[in-house]
Amino acid sequence: MICKSTLSAALAALLMTLGQPLLAQDSGDAGAEGGSAAAEEQRGEDDGAAAAAVPSEEAVEEADIDDVTTEDIPQEGVDLDATVPETSSGPVEAGSTDEMEEHAPAEGADHGDEHGDDHGEDGDHGHGAAHIENVRFPFDGPFGRYDQFQLQRGLQIYTEICAACHGLKHVAIRTLQDEGGVGLPEDQVRAYAGQFEVFDPEIDDFRPATPNDKFPESNLETAPDLSLMAKARAGFHGPYGLGINQLLYGIGGPEYIVAILTGYTGETREQAGTTFYENTAFPGGWIAMAPPLQGEDIEFADGHDNSLQHEAEDVAAFLMWAAEPKMMARKQAGLVAVAFLGLFAVLLYLTNKRLWSPHKYGRKPEA
Amino acid sequence: MSGIPHDHYEPKTRVEKWLHSRLPVVSLLYDTLFIPTPKNLNWMWIWGIVLVFCLVLQIVTGIVLVMHYTPHVDLAFASIEHIMRDVNGGHMLRYLHMNGASLFFVAVYVHMFRGLYYGSYKAPREITWIIGMLIYLCMMATGFLGYVLPWGQMSFWGATVITGLFGALPFIGEPLQTWLLGGPAVDNATLNRFFSLHYLLPFVIAGLVIVHVWAFHTTGNNNPTGVEVRRTSKAEAAKDTLPFWPYFVIKDLFALAVVLVVFFAIVGFMPNYLGHPDNYIEANPLVTPSHIVPEWYYLPFYAILRAFTSDVWAVMFVNFITGGIIDAKAFGVLAMFGAIIVMVFVPWLDTSSVRSGRYRPMFKWWFALLVIDFLVLMWCGAMPAEPPYSTIALIGSTYWFAYFLVILPLLGVIEKPATPPATIEEDFNAHYAGAETPPPYIAPKASE
Repeated sequence: MICKSTLSAALAALLMTLGQPLLAQDSGDAGAEGGSAAAEEQRGEDDGAAAAAVPSEEAVEEADIDDVTTEDIPQEGVDLDATVPETSSGPVEAGSTDEMEEHAPAEGADHGDEHGDDHGEDGDHGHGAAHIENVRFPFDGPFGRYDQFQLQRGLQIYTEICAACHGLKHVAIRTLQDEGGVGLPEDQVRAYAGQFEVFDPEIDDFRPATPNDKFPESNLETAPDLSLMAKARAGFHGPYGLGINQLLYGIGGPEYIVAILTGYTGETREQAGTTFYENTAFPGGWIAMAPPLQGEDIEFADGHDNSLQHEAEDVAAFLMWAAEPKMMARKQAGLVAVAFLGLFAVLLYLTNKRLWSPHKYGRKPEA
Repeated sequence: MSGIPHDHYEPKTRVEKWLHSRLPVVSLLYDTLFIPTPKNLNWMWIWGIVLVFCLVLQIVTGIVLVMHYTPHVDLAFASIEHIMRDVNGGHMLRYLHMNGASLFFVAVYVHMFRGLYYGSYKAPREITWIIGMLIYLCMMATGFLGYVLPWGQMSFWGATVITGLFGALPFIGEPLQTWLLGGPAVDNATLNRFFSLHYLLPFVIAGLVIVHVWAFHTTGNNNPTGVEVRRTSKAEAAKDTLPFWPYFVIKDLFALAVVLVVFFAIVGFMPNYLGHPDNYIEANPLVTPSHIVPEWYYLPFYAILRAFTSDVWAVMFVNFITGGIIDAKAFGVLAMFGAIIVMVFVPWLDTSSVRSGRYRPMFKWWFALLVIDFLVLMWCGAMPAEPPYSTIALIGSTYWFAYFLVILPLLGVIEKPATPPATIEEDFNAHYAGAETPPPYIAPKASE
């Protein structure tokens, strides 16, 4: 276990070094963050299984849902119109859906106008207000792997904070046990499932969830389900809308999540009885979700860094896993396929060369 | 089957003779596999194999995916997630199918542009070309229908926009749209019929592919010189050709392996690169995405569709003379379909006496511009319909039509083509003459 995690940390560090020149446009700040993150991670991992972060009974109670709601969630309950007219400057393509998704949909009539308006701003693909910084995740690249302990920290953050409003309706709780993912032991998964109540049509009543149930759906109608959020947003579009930078950095879904969680400026405004919070990453600049993380919201069992940036990265990594639980199996299959086909191509090249040689150069095939 | 003289299958044993007199299937396979193929084919002739591979891949993965998919508006999106999360190997199958469609279109576009450059559409291969265009149209339809099935936001809104195109046609438009959708809007009925047709069309394509192959096995392959294989005798034909097996099978398999290395790298490492993030949001008829974009392979024609706005004089003119029956929207739809249909007529629009673009000094440049035009239109299709993109798209669309309707017919008259080599053998030997030894193994007798 230690071997594996050290290797992955080393790989991450290597990738980071390699990536440095490519990512010159990252602010030095972000680079420094990344570096310390890697070091931090290694320390965390060496602590081994202690880091497994299943919320204990107390933890769950601490994260009492009402508590979080009163503090962090706009109570208005919320029929927000998606548009905040004067401020909808510079949304990127994927983002405007955001805007509409994260707020209750208004009736169809409005959308026509929005559609038209947005076109004016779509020219800013990849730059402008909603610039998303690349984050070096351990699962980046063909050799990238999920960091089990990061996912466990992310699960803890999700459970104690995000789950107050958001759901993960496509994710089965049992998959927390899967290899190449969060990798919790069976008893912890069962204990984890028990904290949720699900409606069972067979008994026509609520009962405690079992690992075979899915995570609950969103508690708030306006809070989007997060099962696929890390794949449903693109952080990178450029240059000129060609999407070529996605080849270097990936699509940018988890980066977008990090950017949203860390992008609050602290400004708020009231509109039609709803509080909007200024967010530099959100298309339009104003989001109805109150800042969910402040930094130091969660105490990790292993004492891992709980600054805002680290928490945001951990929960974004967890949501990437939720959206793409088979990523490691897929990359593995891709590597095997590429290696095999590469070898096969070399053999076919040699066969072909020898086959054609007498016809091209007049040499008879040897023997 | 082939018009090129070559050895035919002779049943030798009693069993072979017994079968041959009842069903000459071995003979058919033999003639197909050993068809004399121009030996100077270059690497642009490998995409046919890639396309056959894609068709098989899509049918095989598709049939397995159907076993786990549920075509219902309330269940389709969740059933895709079921495939991605719970079905053994389901995530791989689904990503192979998704990206297989992209590989299919990459291959078909290179294949088509190869045909356009080397004049493969010219007599006597018009039927091969036209069947190829029918296959392409079926592929477009299949790809579009398949994109609707995951029932994401882009699925739903793409379906709404594309079926809306039919609604823009004068007179028949609205009833046609309702008939296609099975109701007034995209809904469960639409999803079900799209699913049914998405399953049907690949088999139509498979049938067309057989006819496509049959047609060019009858005429023989074109080749980079555009010069026909000599057919006066078996011996002469043998100097211009080599049998398909093993020479071209091995060559094509090598190329296929190289293409698949790239393909599996994309499937393994970035399977969503060519998709749209919005399709991971479940379809919602009440929320319109800000920017509806079709799959990348439709973008050039999508750009043409949107290029003809009501302030273009051609649109105003047509609008005026048809008394407003053909408005800007209908004009755009006709232009989009026209841009594809005009390619069907290219065998008769190209008036040049020389087949291959290699020997056409002016054509080369116009053709290169057409390829660039195609890529620029693809980019414009992905961008919002506003200046400067709308202007670029309009110029691009105009060039697309001008190439086929004006430039190709005129070039045949204006251009002085170079002289192609007399035979394929001459071309082949010229290419490999620089090798260490002259080719005695296959060299012709000087006196011949």
